[in-house]
Amino acid sequence: MILDEIKRGDTVLEARGITKRFPGVVANDQIDFEIKAGEIHAVLGENGAGKTTLMKILFGQYQPDEGEIYLGGKQVKFKSPLDAIDLGIGMVHQHRKLVPAHTVIENIVLGHPNAGKILNLNRATREINELCEKYGFSIDLKAKVWQLSEGEKQVVEILKALYRGADVLIMDEPTTALTPLETEKLLTSIEAMSSDDLAIVPFITHKLPIVLRISDRVTVLRNGKVVACLDTENVTEKSLAKVLVGREFIFRIERKKVEKGKTILQVENLSALSDKGFLALDGISFSISEGEIFGIAGVSGNGQRELVEILAGLRSTEGGKVVLDGNDITSTSSFKRWQLGMGYIPADRNEVGSIADFSLVENTTMNYYFDADYYHRGTLDYKKIRELTEDIISEYGVVTPNPDVKAKNLSGGNLQKLILARVLSRKPRLVIADLPTQGLDIGATEFVRNKLVEAKQKKAGVLLISEDLEEILSLSDWVAPIYEGKFMGILPGDKAKRENVGAMMAGISWEGEET
Amino acid sequence: MRIGGYGIKLEKRVSLTRWQAATISILAIIVALALFGIIFILAGINPFVAYQEIFSYAFVNRFGLPVTINRFIFLLLCTYAFIIPFRAGLWNIGMTGQFYAGSLAVYAVLLAFGVNEFNAQHPSPMIVLPIMLIAAALGGAAIGAIAGFLKGKYDINEIVVTMMLNFMAFWLVSFMIKEGGPFMNPGGRGESFELPESLFAPLVLDIPFTIFIALAIGLLLSYMFAKTKIGYQIRAYGHNPAAAEYAGISKFFIPLLVFIMGGAIAGLAGYHYFAAVPGVYKIARNYGFFGDLAFYGIICGLISQGNALAAIPIALLFGGLSVGGRFVQGQLNMSFGVDYALLGVLMITLVAFQFFYRYKIVVLKTKKEASRAVAHHYD
Repeated sequence: MILDEIKRGDTVLEARGITKRFPGVVANDQIDFEIKAGEIHAVLGENGAGKTTLMKILFGQYQPDEGEIYLGGKQVKFKSPLDAIDLGIGMVHQHRKLVPAHTVIENIVLGHPNAGKILNLNRATREINELCEKYGFSIDLKAKVWQLSEGEKQVVEILKALYRGADVLIMDEPTTALTPLETEKLLTSIEAMSSDDLAIVPFITHKLPIVLRISDRVTVLRNGKVVACLDTENVTEKSLAKVLVGREFIFRIERKKVEKGKTILQVENLSALSDKGFLALDGISFSISEGEIFGIAGVSGNGQRELVEILAGLRSTEGGKVVLDGNDITSTSSFKRWQLGMGYIPADRNEVGSIADFSLVENTTMNYYFDADYYHRGTLDYKKIRELTEDIISEYGVVTPNPDVKAKNLSGGNLQKLILARVLSRKPRLVIADLPTQGLDIGATEFVRNKLVEAKQKKAGVLLISEDLEEILSLSDWVAPIYEGKFMGILPGDKAKRENVGAMMAGISWEGEET
Repeated sequence: MRIGGYGIKLEKRVSLTRWQAATISILAIIVALALFGIIFILAGINPFVAYQEIFSYAFVNRFGLPVTINRFIFLLLCTYAFIIPFRAGLWNIGMTGQFYAGSLAVYAVLLAFGVNEFNAQHPSPMIVLPIMLIAAALGGAAIGAIAGFLKGKYDINEIVVTMMLNFMAFWLVSFMIKEGGPFMNPGGRGESFELPESLFAPLVLDIPFTIFIALAIGLLLSYMFAKTKIGYQIRAYGHNPAAAEYAGISKFFIPLLVFIMGGAIAGLAGYHYFAAVPGVYKIARNYGFFGDLAFYGIICGLISQGNALAAIPIALLFGGLSVGGRFVQGQLNMSFGVDYALLGVLMITLVAFQFFYRYKIVVLKTKKEASRAVAHHYD
């Protein structure tokens, strides 16, 4: 092994002049990157900055068009991730690559050369338990992976990499989908690993506090190029944000008080089953009035998806009632709900919110094909829809050469703007915004949040579902932390604080909560 | 790959225009004919002579051309039966069964009116002919609806259902026309009773009027997919069912609708071949041959990429080659199966050439210039 002789402080992994081109873009342009043993070196960049490409090159999933990779001073070429793993590089994927039906231990030993033909699980258990103890992970090795939370699955991925003998650990968005408590634990473990001479490379989109908290150095990417490599002790959140987006930046969101109007949405005692047949929603009740943002804070998988799908008419209930503007819509089709003034912005903008192979005009049609103003005797008025699309593109600043471009060619932020524009242009009574800023860069995030506030000012009721506590707290008039299908309480916006909401979304009831 | 000072590189296409797609298809046909030429050479036959025979019989000869046209109409209807579900992302492998069901429905109508070849007493053809057409469409639609309903309601795989229904329909036809069956020919020849002359379909220049139905369906489908609300819903569902459902498009109604429409059109193919083609006018003993031919609707549909107008020349080519291939086999004393072998090679080549829908070959000069050329290309 090349890395056996590495001492703390030696350069472990080095990339020089990495360039990777894809049709139409240069994803990585002459990137230099270096990490030492025992160092935490974060890579920071907005969407489309080239983070993913660089990560895949370092892990052997892509081969660079130009440039070299050195491991412990020796030049290496990874033909596939297998080469990278064999040479001591571990990867913790954001989209976990585990076998859900297998146990934790089976997942960890899967593909391990020592596993051989006969599984010696006792020995593996012993060794893995040692690793857990050393770095402060606690996990039931016999649990099936599908039963685990996102944070626990991440622990499995980390253990898998460590057990394969990784000396360099690449982590893709390590804190996404974790509760505040899980995040805290993870950061402690990362620190423990780095003090044990592991080199750790977290790739992060825009969680600046995390970068500042744990990393020793940070490399910032923009438009496929390295714009800065900084020692973390010399930077502040503000100066880092400036490097990241290339201009001065502060979030400019005001929580505007709007006079409360009529009740728009009323949900009574709603229950639902998940796809697996478990009780995912357990008797939820709340209401939203005109000019209100109702924020549901929680880690994904606590019933938010089921709640949203029921409200959108895409899932049937096990019990309870949904009333929109005085009409009982519990069993109304989604087609009808759109016409009644529902506006739904789905979490998955690529697979649900848009049709990749459709042009932007056709994507706009998704919310207009049923509108009698836009068709005549069954024939759609594409001219009118095209004009509408051009209008919303310019109003929302969607960056595109023309409205005939296919949706798959838009960046995440632009696509989200288009979906938002399309939905909000219908002037919906109820806006359901499910993870509306997930994966967006700072600029697009701010834009989306302001648009939601604007909708509220126009007397719409807004249901906001988010994992981002800052987002919920800064926007919502009501905050409902959700845990295992139940609200842990419904707090007025000014009473909701990081501490109490954070604890409640982890399932801990908070003293003095108000409902 | 590098040859001398040149490098050849595969590159992903960012976009594909219609003309590029058409060029690729034509190249594929030329390559397929060249490949099949090897078989002629191995059989000691000059491939140019063979192809001249094939094409002149299929498209010029006064015996061959009408057969080509009848097969073309048949194939075009089967292609449309495939294309409609295909645009909704669903696979109709059941044109065969829907075609049989349409044929049976036509003869059931005749029986209901008490018509058979000995008793031609019936209401005017002006009444019976339209009813026969409608019955054919309804018969195909009914069997298609089974697959559409099961898909929409219970998400049961439509390929399996349509495939199995093919076998059921095949044996149902057999039961109906063989000895003792309700449609049996009095002569007991393993075929159905014949249509009375008064009910023969109108001919235009010796071509059954069904050609106008087929072409009109092509125009309608083309308009439907490009312009209408329902066409939009079908396409949206076909590209991304989850997104379509999000937009309020019913995941029950769309599969049901496309299979009803597709089945109806395949049913019309049953009317066409067994009640409108001169010289047939009965459910023929070799109805299985036409059932197999119906499968070529899948190939034509795939090659035309679901484009109803592009399907027209392709169905004509396949219809012609199936006729010409069979002719040349007898003419040049070749072994059995030349027609299907030719169609098979054509099909494989066309499918293989779809690779070029996604990639293109780029020839570059020396390496340094190459990277500059690429960089320039992407700017």
